[in-house]
Formats: sequence, structure tokens, C-alpha cells
Amino acid sequence: MSDVHYFFPPASAYALNRFLFALKSDAAARARYAEDAERTLREFGLDAAACEALAAFDRDRLVGLGAHPYLVFMAQVRLSMEQDPGNFEYF
Amino acid sequence: MPLVAAAALPHTPQLLVRPPTEDRDLVLRVHGALGEVKRRLTAARVDVIALIGGDHIEGFFLNAVPALAVYVGARAAGEFGRYRYAFEVHEPLARAMVEQGIEAGFDLTYSQDVPLDYAFYVPLHFAMPSPAVPIVPLYVNVYLPPQPAPARCYAWGRALRTILDARPERVALVASGGLSHFPGTDRYGSPDFEFDRALLASLAEGRGAETARFTGEELDKAGNVELRTWITLLGALGGARAEVLAYEPSWHHGNAVVTWPL
Repeated sequence: MSDVHYFFPPASAYALNRFLFALKSDAAARARYAEDAERTLREFGLDAAACEALAAFDRDRLVGLGAHPYLVFMAQVRLSMEQDPGNFEYF
Repeated sequence: MPLVAAAALPHTPQLLVRPPTEDRDLVLRVHGALGEVKRRLTAARVDVIALIGGDHIEGFFLNAVPALAVYVGARAAGEFGRYRYAFEVHEPLARAMVEQGIEAGFDLTYSQDVPLDYAFYVPLHFAMPSPAVPIVPLYVNVYLPPQPAPARCYAWGRALRTILDARPERVALVASGGLSHFPGTDRYGSPDFEFDRALLASLAEGRGAETARFTGEELDKAGNVELRTWITLLGALGGARAEVLAYEPSWHHGNAVVTWPL
């Protein structure tokens, strides 16, 4: 994508970054996605490549599509904090 | 009233939520160093903490990306996991910063409505003096390129010092961030600890002004995009010598807790 780790987010990836932002920051969006992934992805206007990368939550593919690495990272952290709350406040 | 305290603190969320991926003893040592900062801020009888943080694409998204911003709401609130937090904002100081900053030639953004992310909360969770004091959140864009140049951050810090020194409040200026880490990239497990150690050694010698000469690319390469918050603080501190209370490199993060005796 670029020489720097945190690259300029291409306009072509706006819908994808907007969805990752919602996953990261909006519990209601996470719940909607868990309930009906297909519909939620459609509402966010994501194309087939983005949908496939999200289904696998494949970081390299997401970043290759222009996703911001930090958004990918923290969306995944927030999802896992909800799915595995026992993995936190461990000590 | 001149600035009464200065510190730079880490905010890695693992310090707060303590997953089993972390070295327990390391995390507790960082907690201990943050507790020492809390004691010092309490002893310094600070009236307000001006906290320079990098937005983690939480307060601001791609609808508008401010390089430098001041939060001027009545209170600042947010959430992370089970943590829900809210802080009173020192509105007169926040307004003075944005008004006088703009007067001084910095085209600042201000907001009265952004959520406060964990980059601000984690340091306050551990180091807020007792009793608690109001804050002023100061934002530096660190994650969405093009970020402000280090030299610009340094200049903004210098202007902040001029503003603060003319205020009646006893202010602590605190930077949140760093040191080396690469969230979301394939270098997450290999931060640049050598960069961090060289940096801390130079800060201990009072050579903070040199940080204004970093390029954005150098910071990105070293996993130190967040150093812009430290560089802003260093602009306010001139040649003051850093006291490194802790440097604890974990498997993903160079945790540094630093103060500057004033």
C-alpha cells in the first residue's frame, strides 16, 4: 500500500473505513452486524472484495484494500472484548 | 502562575484491561510508576491538567481531520470496555488556549462534542491527583496522514507555555502516548526499543529541542507517530531535563513514564 505503516486513507476505501470505525466505536453497529451481517454490509455500501476480507477478518487483505491499520486493529479488539470478556481483567 | 508539573505517560489499553497476553509484573511496575506521577501531581497542588493526546480515530473520523484541536466542552466523556468515564473540563483555560493560540497564528480546531478516547482516559485513570481536578484535552492528529510536522508540534508547545505562564491556575501539562508500538501492522510484535532508549537518554540530557527535527517518516518507521504529543510538550519545556521513572518494553509496546522537574 505504501512505505509508511500509517498511510493516507484512499477515498476508494472510505466505505470500508467507515464500517471499521462503526465496528470499533459503536456497540449498536456491532450488534447489528452480529445479527445480520449481509444486510449490515449492504447498508454500509461495501463491495464484494471488502465483504470477503471482512468475513475472514483478514488484516492484510483489508489493509491492501485501503483500510486504516489502526481501525482494523481496534475493531478486532472491541469485537474480542465483547466475545471473550473473560480474557480481560485477568490479573 | 508558571507551569507547575510536566509528564509524559503511556496509554496502552492493556494497562487498563489486563488481558492474559500481558506480563503481569511488567504491567504492575508501570502502574507503580503512574502512581508516583499521581503522588507528584497531588503534591504540586495542580488546579488543572492540560492533557495532550493523539486521537485514536475516535473523536474525529474522516469527515474532518484536525491537525491540532482543543476541546472546549463543559465535560469530556467516553467509554472503553466496561469503563465509562467523564471529566469536568476547565472551560476558561480551554477557551484561553484556543483564543490565544489562534491569535498566535495556530489555526486550531475546537470542539464541544467529541468522545474522549482511552488515550486520554488511561493516564487519568492512574495518575489523576486526589482530589480530582478538571482537564483540558488537547488533540494532536497522530494516526491520519498527513499529520502535523514535528516542528509544528514543537512550536505549538512553545506557544502553549506562553499562554499557560500568564494564567492564574496551577497547570500540569501532560503528554499521553508512546513510546514505540505498531498497532494493526505486521510490526506489532517488534517495536523499536533502541529508538526509545536513545530518545530517553537525550531527553534526560535536556535535548528535547532535537525532537522538532524528526521527520514524519522517521516517526512512522520507529513506531512513534504518537511522539508528536511528547514533542508538543517538549516545546513547552525548553531545555528541562527529563527524569525517566520507568521504561518497560513489553512484547508490543515501549511503556515510558517520564516527568520533568520544573
